[in-house]
Amino acid sequence: MADIDKKEATAQSGVSRREFITGVGGVGVGAVLGGALLKGILLPDEVVAIPASGGYLLVDTAKCAGCNSCMLACSVTHHGTVSLSNARIQVVQDPFVGYPNDITIAQCRQCPYPPCVDACPTGANHVDTENGNVRTVDAAKCIGCERCIQACPFTPSRALWNPIEKHAQKCDLCADTPYWDEDGGPDGKRACEEVCPMNAISFTAEIPMQSDAGYNVNLRLTDATAQLGRMGLGDNGEFTKAQLDAAAAAAAAAAAAAANH
Amino acid sequence: MSNGYAGKILVIDLSSGEVSSLNTADYAEYGGGHGMGSAVFFDLCKDKTISAFDPANVITLMTGPIQGTLAPFGGGRCEVQAIGPQPWPIEWFTRSNFGGRFAGMIKFAGWDGIAVTGKAENPVWIDIRDDAVAIRDASATGDGLWGTGTYETEKKIYDLVRGGDSVDWTLYGTSRDTGRSAQNPAVVSCGQAGENLVRWASLIHEGGGGAGQGGFGAVFGSKNLKAISVIGTGEVAIADPQALMAARAWWSENYFDFDNYKPSLPGLHSYSPGGSGNIAGGLARGGVGQRPQGCMGCTKLCHGGRGATAEGPGSSCFDTWYQAQSGVKWGNPAASASNTDMLQSYGLNAWEGSMALPWLVKLYRTGILGPGKAIESNLPFDAVGSDAFNVAFLDCIVNGTDIGADLKEGCARAATKWGRYDEDVTSGDLAIAAHGYAHHYDARTESEWGFGTALGDRDINEHDITWVLYWHTSLAPLYGQPQALPAKEMVEMIGSTLLPYSDPMMLDFSDEGIYSDAMVKFVSWHRAYTRFWKQSAMYCDWGITDWLNPWAEGYKGLTPELEPRFYNAVTGDDTSFEKGIEIGTKIWNLDRAIWYLQGRTPANDQLAEWQFRIGSPAAHSTYEIPYIMPVFENGEWSYKNVWGRFLDHAKYDDFLDRYYAFEGWDANGCPTSDTLKKLGLDKAADELSAAGKI
Repeated sequence: MADIDKKEATAQSGVSRREFITGVGGVGVGAVLGGALLKGILLPDEVVAIPASGGYLLVDTAKCAGCNSCMLACSVTHHGTVSLSNARIQVVQDPFVGYPNDITIAQCRQCPYPPCVDACPTGANHVDTENGNVRTVDAAKCIGCERCIQACPFTPSRALWNPIEKHAQKCDLCADTPYWDEDGGPDGKRACEEVCPMNAISFTAEIPMQSDAGYNVNLRLTDATAQLGRMGLGDNGEFTKAQLDAAAAAAAAAAAAAANH
Repeated sequence: MSNGYAGKILVIDLSSGEVSSLNTADYAEYGGGHGMGSAVFFDLCKDKTISAFDPANVITLMTGPIQGTLAPFGGGRCEVQAIGPQPWPIEWFTRSNFGGRFAGMIKFAGWDGIAVTGKAENPVWIDIRDDAVAIRDASATGDGLWGTGTYETEKKIYDLVRGGDSVDWTLYGTSRDTGRSAQNPAVVSCGQAGENLVRWASLIHEGGGGAGQGGFGAVFGSKNLKAISVIGTGEVAIADPQALMAARAWWSENYFDFDNYKPSLPGLHSYSPGGSGNIAGGLARGGVGQRPQGCMGCTKLCHGGRGATAEGPGSSCFDTWYQAQSGVKWGNPAASASNTDMLQSYGLNAWEGSMALPWLVKLYRTGILGPGKAIESNLPFDAVGSDAFNVAFLDCIVNGTDIGADLKEGCARAATKWGRYDEDVTSGDLAIAAHGYAHHYDARTESEWGFGTALGDRDINEHDITWVLYWHTSLAPLYGQPQALPAKEMVEMIGSTLLPYSDPMMLDFSDEGIYSDAMVKFVSWHRAYTRFWKQSAMYCDWGITDWLNPWAEGYKGLTPELEPRFYNAVTGDDTSFEKGIEIGTKIWNLDRAIWYLQGRTPANDQLAEWQFRIGSPAAHSTYEIPYIMPVFENGEWSYKNVWGRFLDHAKYDDFLDRYYAFEGWDANGCPTSDTLKKLGLDKAADELSAAGKI
């Protein structure tokens, strides 16, 4: 990558180099080198950038109750049917594993650098600049090569194959939900977030830290939640040492009281 | 069919290995669930007089149109029916129901239900992956499931079906478009109790979901069937998706918000977030941190919860109450969750075990049962309440050793064999309510529970009146608060939902009221409502009726708007609430016809004798607090404590006579030919005629 003159870059794109790197100033961008990208913001010297998504789903796997409502709502609003395999958010549970590892939630991260968009040979998987730059699949252009599904760095892949309509699809933050009377998208509502009875799905317009901890956050924010759900208020789904110690002490006290009964 | 239905019902004959299907559309008039199950059973089981363990018995697992959808309280329920080995003295064609992920998953696999008949030569399990149905070897030399507990079976099946890849999309089939799933299969299985034909063996799903009563675990065992596993990658159409989403939003506005929780009303246990399950479930598990857990699509999330130690997953309410009954009740407050895990893994009905213990302990302490006693037993009753006793107790039942050889036949049969039935059921030491089933809610006070139980096949387990006109109306004054509404307003509000009758007198639980014509009407209404809206459509008993809603204006519940609203959004029908009552009446009559083909007489409509003699709570019961119920006396409504009341034989028999007449049944309690034909049940009328019953 050749040197970029700071002033020249700012003058051309309206985005200073500092702003480019930190993503502040309303135009968060992810830098991508090469690839068949469309609708990028061209910076000098072959650096092509994709606008960051205007929104991201955050989940709290320690709060989720595993009811799958999010998955069903995703399918209903996008396809008018109920299906688990068609859902663009996947909640997988194993009842025989200890909490909180008995549930995993796989939501699309709307990656600042989206490998699925990068991998698509036809532009079907693209950045939708009319809908808050959400990364989504234009089904009409999908040729079924499944490169986006292979390219997703996460498991299970967030891009998925729809064998009924025969195209790839992925979370579009409900930008295109023909079977829902609400306005979806980063500027509207998300069906999964609306139906979740635990409020275990949240939304942010800020790019999350690009790690598991950035997208799996603590939504257990009230005492009521903690008391009724017997869930810890620890950060990021964990219990603090203080909480663990307090719980152990309470259990010991209860056992002592019972023994004295 | 479309719109809420997959279109086909899977039929598996384990004797021949044949896999076939029925068209759901042929049973459309029943809506789904129980109604379809009864009708399918009627068609597939030619001889209704066979025993539960006869290979010709047909077991059905049915869904309704709202299963697998966003209908609150219902998306996850699966209705199980067959001739059950538990009911006594006749093995009634009976029902149970379990929640979780199974019902939705079989619909996504393309099936509205599963019917299994015949008997496999060797232990098998059924592996359903969309339309691919395989009968696989469950034996120790095969997939190694037979002989293991339900937890282990389920875990093993996850591995077998997912091929060890438990995280990624799994392709089912061989081409790009054959369907994929990232989900674990939904599994229902029997434990060793079912394998060993314990008459009160249950079916277990995900550790805590259970078709508990009826002995369906033993029906599986009698067929050499260990488990059914389903992966469904498909979809089911919704008639009006926008209306479904709008209905869901409407529900959210009229129910609790987990994060902004406004307290429920006293006594409405099932209305707390996580339901009663979370409260009781909390007792079951050690460690820090638990989550509530919900059946597919549900909003109430009362399905038991899961904790950090992975003990008692999904177990709640009575399964964990068993832990209390088997331990805490006998002075061991530290009774461990292992009691619940053992019960669930063996696949045993918590009710029967809970009823047995106080009875057996009394027999032991009065010198009738024990080493060298009239009833020989070496079980360590001195240590009752300890985990060690519980292990010995459950082991002897599952293995048929010691008194377990008799107890595995159920308490009624054991008591009969021991020559103790009459004495112990008259005294109430053995707290059977009817049909050999344990006392649950109380016939003497909350009569619709007892009378509906007696007139049917089992303990009804339908909590409509229970939460509102027992728990709430009784607990509020114990907290020093008035009931949410004065009695007159309460019965008028609830009465208005009792369509088509809408008669508040149906809720008069006074000494005269429980035998009145209005109560006849109420019992009839309740049978119909539960048969259709709860067990066929099908909504969960812990969600509907929604009669007294703590978060709605004037506490007015969502019944009768909720039931048709989601049902019709999914199906595209315009089935009114009242139409549902009509369909329920039809289903109730079909069931009654089947029971008469099984040999029913009016004697089977009786309640166990202690309920006519004593007023105190039974030795095992849920009669924990006084029954303060609405009564109409001296021309006005009030709440009255009816604790201590017991039933009168003459009045009860007279009630039955008037009930039979109201339902259009003959003096023997059998639906008449006219009644059946008016309901469109011509086949049932013909078969009853041919059997000389009418």
